Amino acid sequence: MPESPDPREADFERARRVLVIDDEEGMREAIRRVLEKKGFRARTAADGETALAMLAAEPFDIALVDLKLPGVDGFQVTEHISRTLGNRTVTVIVSALATVEAAVEVTRHGAFDFLVKPFTPDDLMEVMERASKQWRLLRDRETYLSEASSERTLSHQMINSMREGVVVLNIMGKPALMNPRAEFFLGRKWNDGLTMADLFGGTPVMDAASAVLANPEKGDSRMVHVPQGGMMLQVGVTPLQLNGDIGGAVVILTDVTEAWEAEQDKNRFVSMVAHELKSPLAAILNFINVILAGTYEGEPEKVEEALRRCKIRGEALLELIQDLLEINRRDAGKQEKSIEELDLRKVLAEQLDFHRGQAERRGISVVFDAAGPPCPVQADRGDLDRIFVNLISNGIKYNREGGRLEIGISETPSGWEVKVADTGFGMTPVEMKSLFEEFYRVKNARTSGIAGTGLGLATVKRVLAGYNGRIDVRSVPEEGTVFTVTLPRHR
Amino acid sequence: MAKILLVDDDADLLSGQKAFLTKKGFTVETAGSIADGLAKATQFAPDLVVADLMMEHYDSGFVFCKKVRELPGLSEVPILMQTAAPRKVGFTFDTTTAGNREWMKVDEVLTKPVPLEDLLGKIEQYLSRKGKNA
Repeated sequence: MPESPDPREADFERARRVLVIDDEEGMREAIRRVLEKKGFRARTAADGETALAMLAAEPFDIALVDLKLPGVDGFQVTEHISRTLGNRTVTVIVSALATVEAAVEVTRHGAFDFLVKPFTPDDLMEVMERASKQWRLLRDRETYLSEASSERTLSHQMINSMREGVVVLNIMGKPALMNPRAEFFLGRKWNDGLTMADLFGGTPVMDAASAVLANPEKGDSRMVHVPQGGMMLQVGVTPLQLNGDIGGAVVILTDVTEAWEAEQDKNRFVSMVAHELKSPLAAILNFINVILAGTYEGEPEKVEEALRRCKIRGEALLELIQDLLEINRRDAGKQEKSIEELDLRKVLAEQLDFHRGQAERRGISVVFDAAGPPCPVQADRGDLDRIFVNLISNGIKYNREGGRLEIGISETPSGWEVKVADTGFGMTPVEMKSLFEEFYRVKNARTSGIAGTGLGLATVKRVLAGYNGRIDVRSVPEEGTVFTVTLPRHR
Repeated sequence: MAKILLVDDDADLLSGQKAFLTKKGFTVETAGSIADGLAKATQFAPDLVVADLMMEHYDSGFVFCKKVRELPGLSEVPILMQTAAPRKVGFTFDTTTAGNREWMKVDEVLTKPVPLEDLLGKIEQYLSRKGKNA
């Protein structure tokens, strides 16, 4: 079976660099020749001092050390290597002292193996092979140790940089680790004496953690509201496995405030929609039931009035449903937008033309300079229509009989400012507070007969937001209201 | 002749319910806002009040009911609330316990659209309990 080459057999991972230390030149050179023939790179030293200097200057994988050297002898060189280079250089003693005692003695000084003089090239290579293997073992161990230590550092840093809070509980439920994010979420600094109750007392996490510690078969997850900062945390508790045994529990805290708030908003919207859909329907069904109950018997004009109101409320309900579908289309991104260069003045003129009949019926005079210079803007025609249909029809509906609706365009450094001013009922500051919220309608004696969905101005605001535009309002009760739309030239 | 005060910001609902209840022999007053409702409650001294929940503000009906019960002579007046709001979002309308009825100052919450026979039935039930049935 073909074996994939062991990466450690790669050249740079093989023991190659050998230092031969011997005071006999013949022996030195003989060994060097044999080694180089076998692919090692051998260098030589004639005495202990030279050897130590060379070992300090460059790395050697294996040192062949003659025991009897002038000056610094083989024992001292061996000791030096084992003390300072023990992890990278394997020492083999070469000596004529072929006794067991001598062998034991040199290994006690840190040598790995022993080669007895005289020896054959094969003897030498046999020793070299064992030494090479040893060198590789040392090498692997070192790599493993450094990998393990960097792995520990890495997981530590990873846990500390997580966006989630992490708390590890030991089998007794005592906190054993806590990352900075958890400290932030729980408003507690880590210290040795912390208990589970300090961190989670009075919250459902206590129960969840106790449940997981008692029955480590399955995890648990709870939502917890943290009063500080109004955060909503999702807290997951999972059993901690240590070598297959249960060693405690890991508590992961995730900030889900944003999603939670969005969910709350959605719930509120849905409940408002239900309310707004049911209100007109309740009025219509009520009229029908009143008629069916014979309440208006002999009073046909009252029946007719009731039916007329049913029609108006039914139409308003339909309009509301259409607005809701429109909002849904836009939210789902299904609405195709085609951004093109449009003349804002022309768009407004067309809109006013469309509303002319409605304005005339109420005797409202419309003031607009349709012949002025073009006002180029990059926008979707449908979006511009939605903005100004709402403002113009409000300006007519909430105006007084025989009032005035004035629309003006002026240029700003970044685009256009459109003012839509009416001479209507106006609004008090309290009435204006929620003006741009969905389903908000100003409710007073004067507005009660006017049909509307409460979605118009909310829609205007949302559409404008897509253009980095904005809408502002100023109003004086009994005098009128001015809406100001700011629309950048480019989207 | 029992006197009933209807308070709702939906003018159509008021006119229909008023016509129906008048035909059934009640004396009916209507009000379209909380302020108007409180004024009418004082002048008219109704035997029973039917109020909407969401008028100026989403829970303004509760405020209205509390204020009605604080008026002289009206601390015991039966109050029926009718609303198109769903029962479970934001607040719950559980009137099955005395504690909740006391807290909401409302005897019963009816869900819109309320069938006329149900409205009539509830009105008669609460009036007879009060011993002032028409």
